[in-house]
Amino acid sequence: MVRLFRVSKIYPPNYPALVDVHLQIDKGEFVFLSGPSGAGKTTLLKLLFRQEEATEGQIIVNGRNITRLNGAGVAGLRQELGLVFQEFRLLPSLTALENVALAAEVVGTPRRESRRKAFNLLRELGLKDKHDCKPPALSGGEQQRVAIARALVNDPILVLADEPTGNLDAEMAEETMRLLLRIHERGTTVLIATHDTGLLERFSYRVVYLQRGRLMGDSKQPCEEGSV
Amino acid sequence: MRLAPISFVSRRVLKSLKELLWTHVLTAGTMTMTLFIFGGFLLIQENLHGLLRGWGSQVQVFAYLESELSSEALDALIKRVRSYPEVESVGYVSKAEAWEKFRRSLGAQSGVLEGLKADILPASLEITLTASHRSRVAAEGLAQRLRAAQGIGEVEYPEEWVEKLGLLVLGIQWTKWVLGGFLFVATLLIVGSTVRLAFLAREDEIEIMQLVGAPARLIKAPFVIEGMVQGVVGASLALFGLWLVFLLLRERIPPSLAIFVPGDAVRFLDLRSAVVLLLLGLAMGTGGSLFALRKFLKRWGR
Ligand SMILES: Nc1ncnc2c1ncn2[C@@H]1O[C@H](COP(=O)(O)OP(=O)(O)O)[C@@H](O)[C@H]1O
Ligand SMILES: [Mg+2]
Repeated sequence: MVRLFRVSKIYPPNYPALVDVHLQIDKGEFVFLSGPSGAGKTTLLKLLFRQEEATEGQIIVNGRNITRLNGAGVAGLRQELGLVFQEFRLLPSLTALENVALAAEVVGTPRRESRRKAFNLLRELGLKDKHDCKPPALSGGEQQRVAIARALVNDPILVLADEPTGNLDAEMAEETMRLLLRIHERGTTVLIATHDTGLLERFSYRVVYLQRGRLMGDSKQPCEEGSV
Repeated sequence: MRLAPISFVSRRVLKSLKELLWTHVLTAGTMTMTLFIFGGFLLIQENLHGLLRGWGSQVQVFAYLESELSSEALDALIKRVRSYPEVESVGYVSKAEAWEKFRRSLGAQSGVLEGLKADILPASLEITLTASHRSRVAAEGLAQRLRAAQGIGEVEYPEEWVEKLGLLVLGIQWTKWVLGGFLFVATLLIVGSTVRLAFLAREDEIEIMQLVGAPARLIKAPFVIEGMVQGVVGASLALFGLWLVFLLLRERIPPSLAIFVPGDAVRFLDLRSAVVLLLLGLAMGTGGSLFALRKFLKRWGR
């Protein structure tokens, strides 16, 4: 599903955020990308949805090399992904339903069907009564659920979540994690970047550990070179 | 072509026109100003041009004949003049006809001529020049040759101002393009900054759209269409304004000028010029948007 071959990312002028990263994630896996703040987790995710370009190395997502993509290619790649962010990134002027439906509409789903899909997803995520609320009127946990619904509305094959629980209290963080696990159980590959070690302990899934831009450990291959 | 994107884009355009109404009005207004000024020059130019063409046929060289000319000599003279390359036609005005014309031109005051002899005015040749020789230089050359001819006394030819008017038309033609060019660029910049405003107002939305994989053309289309709408609305308003001003001014042509500028000779822009104006508006709107978008989408790394 995801493969990184000797990937490096150097931010201008000369800051190495990722150094020589090798990584393979198989279809249907649930993976934590962990490491202290500044380790390069966000950078790695940004490379995967092509917000940033790798300085060196090759990245394969769903069988496609994404290191050389034009604008249309990037759009096509992102249509296959579901993105979840720490700060939710919802549009405050749109209702929950509209926020979710927008994502479906802009990739060519007719308006009616987009709204129907959005409505069903919100209901499934326990927001049945909130679909007409605008984000400022929702709690953090509810907003993150709307964002997750938006990430799912185009049936992604890979969900990337960058500190999805970072802005949530413990209870809501737990709930959000359970949702992401449910997505995983439906067969979707999930990659979650988090510096919250408590999360890793409560949910025992594969953990990939980054430190200062280097891959320092992988619970799937505990004895490999460079592991901690 | 699928319908979903079309309906999506049109809804966004309508929403933006509603939410950013004054920004759009301001931009369309700017285009109206530019196209109004440009169209005004076009209007003046077309009308002067038309006038000049009308006058051109009236540009005549008058050759006054000496009194003691036999009719054979007269015939020979007319024949010779007619053979000059710059001459289109030659008309003969006899002493009696000249007198009659003069009397009629005085109208009610013709009484003052009472008691004068009818042959006081000389007979003359009214020589019309061919289209390609309707200039002062040509007329002057012809006049010189006529003066040397037997039987011809005075020669009069058109004044310099006809030629000056020709230069004026040329001047207007050029001013129109130079000034129009400046205004065009200024308008493009203003359209660009409108797009910038519209863009900033929707920055978050655009970012989200890009993150979920919206094709670039879907993101750009509303801005381009808004630019087109602004351009066409601006051009239509400019045409309408020009038309109003035109009607107003035509009513006010002073009677003293009416002999030079007969009311029905003043024309509004023809269809071609109107279409040119509309297309210019369309081009400014579309161009301004595309130009601004290029800059912005680049910043988004796309
Ligand atoms: N756009 C950027 N330009 C320069 N440096 C950056 C940029 N983005 C991130 N960095 C740096 O790269 C390092 C890794 O950042 P990031 O990937 O955000 O880490 P993490 O998500 O693990 O906290 C940090 O030191 C950060 O300062
Ligand atoms: Mg981060």
